[in-house]
Amino acid sequence: MNNRSGLLPALTAIILFIVLESLSIVLVMESGVVQRFRIMGALRNTQAWVWTRTSNISHFFQYRTENERLAAENLMLQQQLAEARIALQSVDSCFSDADFSYIGAHVIKNTVNQQRNQLILDRGSRDGVEPGMGVVTPCGAVGIVSAVSPRYCYVISMLGTGQTVSAKLAGSGAFGPMSWPGTDPDQMLLQEIPVHIQAAPGDTVLTSGFSTIFPPDIPLGSVVESKVSKGSSQELTIRLFEEFRALHYVYIVKNNHRQELESLYESVP
Amino acid sequence: MNPYRNILYFILVFLLQLAITDYLYLSPWVTVCILPLLILLMPLSWSPHRVMIVAFALGLGLDVLSAGVVGLNAFAAVMAAAPRRMLYRVLVNSDRQDTTEVLILRQAGFEPYFKMLLALTALYLAAFILLDCVSLRPVGFILGKFLASTVVSTLLGLVLSLSVKNR
Repeated sequence: MNNRSGLLPALTAIILFIVLESLSIVLVMESGVVQRFRIMGALRNTQAWVWTRTSNISHFFQYRTENERLAAENLMLQQQLAEARIALQSVDSCFSDADFSYIGAHVIKNTVNQQRNQLILDRGSRDGVEPGMGVVTPCGAVGIVSAVSPRYCYVISMLGTGQTVSAKLAGSGAFGPMSWPGTDPDQMLLQEIPVHIQAAPGDTVLTSGFSTIFPPDIPLGSVVESKVSKGSSQELTIRLFEEFRALHYVYIVKNNHRQELESLYESVP
Repeated sequence: MNPYRNILYFILVFLLQLAITDYLYLSPWVTVCILPLLILLMPLSWSPHRVMIVAFALGLGLDVLSAGVVGLNAFAAVMAAAPRRMLYRVLVNSDRQDTTEVLILRQAGFEPYFKMLLALTALYLAAFILLDCVSLRPVGFILGKFLASTVVSTLLGLVLSLSVKNR
């Protein structure tokens, strides 16, 4: 009962407060055009502020969807690019060996601080993934699929001692194996480049395409420095374009002529 | 307590506020306001409704009689009047028993009285300056004006409060 008797005056006081303050604001607005614009301007500013904040928040939650949309679009463009390359090569010659298709995948797990780093992707055998397929991004080679389950695949990262990718210098076309020395995840070593080849800092390094794993001409990195190794070849330090610490979306590369090529290799005595 | 002297004191302070509003211009950074003193000196037995209505009337009267914007002082006065009882219980008398009819500096003591006056003046000026300067002035100016006005108005209110002891 006491609560009720105390609540009613409090409620009426609040209502009275609102009525008096509203009346005051109406009086201020009616008092002059300037005041009206001030108050309406303040309301508009407040609305704009709230909208900006809520928009930022909603954008934050839409990043995932937006990323997936962009990744799908990127995948489609990669497919079109591969088809265009085939078409061009068909025009130039009757021989076409570059027929790759791509499967988009999210990185579930990724390590960069071990000597043999690995990734786990959310695509598996039911998506057409097989062991031995390459994994790339538009900024470089990421790794090679090592094991596959129905929904996931295990990838040995290029950041693993002993892993190599065949790479070439964009200008001269000189190629050699590129591997990770096991220290800086931003740098790899391109070896067996002949000493007479001029390699300047900043020169771009691409995948050579001399394998069934990675398609040619994927940019890998740029030359930082070169030094003569074993007296007969150069060893180039390459700064990678790919940021391995920030990998989220990759493409699993399927070479559509892989079985044919491998059987050809095996048939050669 | 003589009610006539009390009413006369109210009228004098109100007229002084009117004169200050119309004729005293210290700086664009300072708004001198002693109307919160009148809100403080209303009888403690008054309900919040009554305090708000009287404060609204005082503010509106000041707005109408001075050359200002109608509604500005009314808005600020209600803003200061609404939490007066709560502020009194928090800052002066926490046992919820009003022992005096009117809060007087000499009886209440300097510290609680000063806190009450400062709180009411700050509330009043915050509402007044925000409504007056909103969207027209930078935040730094509004804050500076609020601080300077609160200091000057509170000091003037304290000086005027000294005369209340002779009532």
